Amino acid sequence: MNITSLCPLFKLDVLSGFVILAIGLFSVLVIVYSLRFMRNKQKLVSFYANIILTALASAAVVFSNNLILLLVLWGFLGLTLYLLINRGEESQDAIAKKTFIIIGGSDALMLLGVGIVYYLSGTFQMDAIRLELNNSLAVLAYLCIAVACFAKAGAMPFHSWIPDCARYAPVPVAAFLLASLDKLLGIYLLARISLDLFVMNEAMNIFLMLIGALTIIAAVMMALVQHNMKRLLGYHAVSQVGYMVLGIGTGTPIGIAGGIFHMLNNSIYKQALFFTSGNVEQKTGTTDLDKLGGLSKAMPLTYISALIASLSISGVPPFNGFVSKWMIYQGLISKCQIANGKWQMIVYLLCLAAAMFGSGLTLASFLKLIHATFLGQSVNGKRAKVAEVNWAMWLPPLLLASICVIFGVFAIQVPLKYFILPAVAGVTFIGTWYAGLSTLLIIIGLLLGVLIFKLKGIRPVLRQDTAFTGGETLDLAENRVTGTEFYNTIKDLGLLATIYKNAEKGLFDIYEQAKRLTFFTASALQYLHNGVLPTYLVWTLLGMIGLFILLR
Amino acid sequence: MLPFFVVIPLACAFLISLLGKRIKNLSDILANLGTLALLILSLYSIGLVNNHKILVYKVGGWIPPIGISMVLDGLSSFMLVIVGVVSFLVTVYSINYMERFTDKWKFYTLFMLMLAGMNGVIVSGDLFNLFVFLEIASIASYALVAFGTEAEELEASFKYAIMGSVASSFILLGIAFLYSYTSTLNMADISLVLSIKEPGLMVSFIAVLFLVGFGLKAALVPFHAWLPDAHPSAPAPISAMLSGVFIKILGVYALCRVFFNILGVSDKIFFVLTILGVISMILGAFLAIAQSDIKRMFAYSSISQIGFIIFALGIGSPLALLGGLFHLFNHAIFKSLLFLNSGAVEYSTGVRDLKRLGGLNSRLPITGFTGLLGAMSISGIPPLGGFWSKLIIIIAAVQAGYFMFASIAILISIVTLAYYLKFLGFTFFGKLDDAWLKIKEVPWAMRFSMIILAIICVITGLLLIPILRPFLQSAVEVLLSGREYSSIVFGAIR
Repeated sequence: MNITSLCPLFKLDVLSGFVILAIGLFSVLVIVYSLRFMRNKQKLVSFYANIILTALASAAVVFSNNLILLLVLWGFLGLTLYLLINRGEESQDAIAKKTFIIIGGSDALMLLGVGIVYYLSGTFQMDAIRLELNNSLAVLAYLCIAVACFAKAGAMPFHSWIPDCARYAPVPVAAFLLASLDKLLGIYLLARISLDLFVMNEAMNIFLMLIGALTIIAAVMMALVQHNMKRLLGYHAVSQVGYMVLGIGTGTPIGIAGGIFHMLNNSIYKQALFFTSGNVEQKTGTTDLDKLGGLSKAMPLTYISALIASLSISGVPPFNGFVSKWMIYQGLISKCQIANGKWQMIVYLLCLAAAMFGSGLTLASFLKLIHATFLGQSVNGKRAKVAEVNWAMWLPPLLLASICVIFGVFAIQVPLKYFILPAVAGVTFIGTWYAGLSTLLIIIGLLLGVLIFKLKGIRPVLRQDTAFTGGETLDLAENRVTGTEFYNTIKDLGLLATIYKNAEKGLFDIYEQAKRLTFFTASALQYLHNGVLPTYLVWTLLGMIGLFILLR
Repeated sequence: MLPFFVVIPLACAFLISLLGKRIKNLSDILANLGTLALLILSLYSIGLVNNHKILVYKVGGWIPPIGISMVLDGLSSFMLVIVGVVSFLVTVYSINYMERFTDKWKFYTLFMLMLAGMNGVIVSGDLFNLFVFLEIASIASYALVAFGTEAEELEASFKYAIMGSVASSFILLGIAFLYSYTSTLNMADISLVLSIKEPGLMVSFIAVLFLVGFGLKAALVPFHAWLPDAHPSAPAPISAMLSGVFIKILGVYALCRVFFNILGVSDKIFFVLTILGVISMILGAFLAIAQSDIKRMFAYSSISQIGFIIFALGIGSPLALLGGLFHLFNHAIFKSLLFLNSGAVEYSTGVRDLKRLGGLNSRLPITGFTGLLGAMSISGIPPLGGFWSKLIIIIAAVQAGYFMFASIAILISIVTLAYYLKFLGFTFFGKLDDAWLKIKEVPWAMRFSMIILAIICVITGLLLIPILRPFLQSAVEVLLSGREYSSIVFGAIR
């Protein structure tokens, strides 16, 4: 039955259909997980109310066919996110504020975008809008709405709330919103406006691709040097968005399909990873990589889920992350085939290189995470006892990990057939050589990762012996290899060192810069308000003179 | 029934000043009954306007333009409702809040006088009477700002009184010039005369005088400097009244009435209004974000929001006028709510400095939650009321081709969100300071007012649905009718 005829405000098609399905799955898993994880926390009523409201509003966003309705629900999600993060613990308020300012600010821009769309098209009904990007107003409208998508999904330069948020928000919230729902919504809307509402042109496609490529590389570089598990995952949550934006930016059916498939895959493995970080936090009380180690024996189920999800996010076959990345690469290659002009070719190749290199670096940083958390030596050097978390906490990540495998091995038969290919028309896999090429690309990615890994030097062969250093006994537990120093070398690498230092200071954080500018303006204005009555009367007089001149 | 809008508060003021000192609780009861009666009357007036479009009351039976008249049309009844709702809830709130001060009856006397002045401004059909009522309201408010009689309050009140008097003298001067030009003081009649006479330089001159005068009352930049001192210094209920309704009635309403219905709006005036609006919007917001005193932040926020309203009125399209008036209504509700919240915080902690507060959500859950709703509404977060008016204004601005100003308005709304999050974060969220472990939620009357205002905040979006829309629409139509106002008024007399 056609739902559109029942109510013009809503519309269900394949794209929105599977996104809603995914939202439902993730919501259920998060609630199951929270039942145990949040058990001893306070303010549970507001927590669950906000989770459920978020799930409902997200589903309705995807369902809606009217821009105003979409705007209302979309903006409402910002409020629930704020309330979910801000649970009265230390340093949560600052990050909740930052999050809401970025999200709410981008919502305001989206409002402007919707206003311009209405001005240009005369309707709010989404399936009736089809705008060419041939004038500056249409471009402005597209950019305004795209900013909202970027902020929600976490593409650069609106990503800066995600890493902190991942670290300080409760784990179920991070798993629910940062890992899955916000990505689904952001990329869904980006796909919607890029595919349906606007007719993309080459310049805008290249813009999207560059944003995507930048996001992949910059975020993964930041992830490499993190010391906190959740923060590291947060940077990956940003980095992976780059692939989706890149895929949609290619404008080729296979690339778009890859981008959308990657959105789904990313939500699956990223949620699994956040769940495992929650398990680790629950068991050890910390997610600081320096203080972890050797948990694989203690928490085998969590370890397996984390391992599969890590391999999947790094794009290792045969997991699902591989399939979607492979499709994005194909989109880029087919783009190269039709490139006209040298510059376009260079841009495409650059993006392809960024995507592949990013994949390698992702693997590298997850080697670090897995090593520091699950492998390596445990903190006190003793073998930990098997103490897996409650089933409500290991089942969701394990379930997600198994979906990773299924979606990887049977990619064509299950997810692509039912979800992705019906949503994007005209997907053709390139030639017969695609399997070989993609395998090759993955190998290159892996090699690159290994190469970078080797920059630090190969770990010596494990040989347990008593340490002897000039008469002093060396405490092995204190001098263990934690894994956090794996990539310290790149941190000291000339130009990179400066970039890292400035990045930590927030130089590339649009929020910090805007804040600085705002308070500078404010202090200048405050200086003018000196509290002296005659000054104020002079202003009045000046204002009056100005009005006389204007109204003469 | 028109005179009752002025008579009731005047009578209350008189009775309270006469008996309030002698009979305990009489002032509370009388003031609350008075404002409740006004609220009911104002709600009843919506129905009247719906049926008759316009009601003219001839004082003493003299036919205008010779006699004095009172006029109730869509715009007046819209404003009366705003005054009615806010003043009733504020008096309820004051029952508990004003216990902290001595001489509660003096407070109520002044309050009722101010109310009489505001209602008088709204229903007056005569320019000179409008001035008289405006002065009554202003003088009462000078006294109310100084009600705490601390040094800071007296200083604020003094500045306010000076700037207010400047405003009043400009307005009076404008009225005098207008009288010399048209030989009449009745608003409808002036409008009639002006439409016949050639619009000369004289009218522009008068327009500037009125713009400065009412601009001062409405606290538009650069005429705003008194407000950030005056509004925070008053007791919280008065701050709520001043920021919530006072500047809107004496400033925005009077400005609308004079320019839209009497002088007529030219493109130049529209342009000047948008410019003034945008400047106020920007300056108010940037100044607000730097404040650490809650009420001062809200006061600057009022400047910014009034700028937003004036900007919408300056666009001048029907949709923009609807958005502007809608925002005016919303702002009255959420700004009074926020000031009452700040009052509640001050009531329980004795502090209004953001840096010393924090985590109060656990101690003052109702204040915290209503404060959240108010702050979210003013920041334009859906689905609360403020979002809808912002949406309409932005769409109207884009439709009218003001892309630049629309973008500025959007950026300012981001700043607005930022400083309200600052307020929420420093007050209600975060970690609870040990000093506030023992404080309790505020008494019932204060809670009642805040809850009702918060509920209105949430449901104002409903004013856009067809059944309730006439309430807004009839006010917009008055503005749209422009100079036809005179023929409508004279038509109603016959």
